[in-house]
Amino acid sequence: MGKDKREKKFYPDYFSEIIVSILIAVEILIILALIYYPSIGRQIDFTKPFQPRPEWYFLWLYQLVRYFPGKSAFIGTVMIPAAFVLLLLMIPYIDKGEKGRIKAVAAGSVILLAFVILTILSLL
Amino acid sequence: MGKIFDWIDRRFGVKEPHKKFLQRPAFGMPEKVNYSYCLGGMSFIYFLMLVCTGLLLSMYYVPSEKEAFKSVAAITNDVTLGWLIRGLHKWSANLFIIFIMLHTIRVFVSQAYRPPRELNWMAGVLGLVIAMASGFTGYLLPWDQKAYWATEVGTSMFGTVPFIGDYLMRFVRGGLDIDGATLIRFYSMHVLFLPASMAIILWAHFHMVKRQGIAKSL
Repeated sequence: MGKDKREKKFYPDYFSEIIVSILIAVEILIILALIYYPSIGRQIDFTKPFQPRPEWYFLWLYQLVRYFPGKSAFIGTVMIPAAFVLLLLMIPYIDKGEKGRIKAVAAGSVILLAFVILTILSLL
Repeated sequence: MGKIFDWIDRRFGVKEPHKKFLQRPAFGMPEKVNYSYCLGGMSFIYFLMLVCTGLLLSMYYVPSEKEAFKSVAAITNDVTLGWLIRGLHKWSANLFIIFIMLHTIRVFVSQAYRPPRELNWMAGVLGLVIAMASGFTGYLLPWDQKAYWATEVGTSMFGTVPFIGDYLMRFVRGGLDIDGATLIRFYSMHVLFLPASMAIILWAHFHMVKRQGIAKSL
């Protein structure tokens, strides 16, 4: 914008930037859809159970469940995921007071690291 | 074009109130805005793509035990551009989740969840949960080997809840096992319940952005 001191307005200044990002988003989508188009899976075979793989954003959950066999499975399937969601919901309230930001960053990084590390572990 | 719009606007009255919002000094936008502030908007585009391609897919998809697999095969092989619509739907779903996560990280880093935006942060978290639930229910719909067994594992997790586990799992599956009842249940969730909830959440999300403006980053 250079020396233009005019105050930026949502329309058209930011609106045009949003349009650019939207075009990029659609480009990414179309390229992926054209190159990696979905194939048809195998028909259901009840006699041959095989190790299923969920979508990538559930891999962490599948990995987590492995650590809690038998009766403790409940911890991995429900308690920890629910705790993550609750923690994420409460972020604005964790970030209160002097050390609030540090606590919030700690909570946020625990969730993010757990997601990333468990996903990587499940892929190994 | 302008005349037609004005004719509609005289009855609808959307021009004036929106002019106020659009031409306000950038929603009182802070100086340090960059392209990472577009991540939410990009997620929204993927949501719109999901709705559009999903509507098209629903014309050919048959949510029944006998027909589901065949109809997905027909969409992929026979229907004109069906493979593309299906591909767009699948990739929009994945990109939707990725961009919501990136958007969440951006909001977290710029501390935009601070008051008065706590509720909007929570709406966003709920949106992410709904998006993941949509992914879970949509995964079963192709009704193939992978979908079946992934849902078998996924729904059996509900069974691990103490006391109400068995009831909960039967509620999710619509019976003891995964069969046609589960398929139509997941289909209904995927195309009616979850998109409707998402639309309400997104309306609230955007409404609060309009009312509160963009947070100043620190």
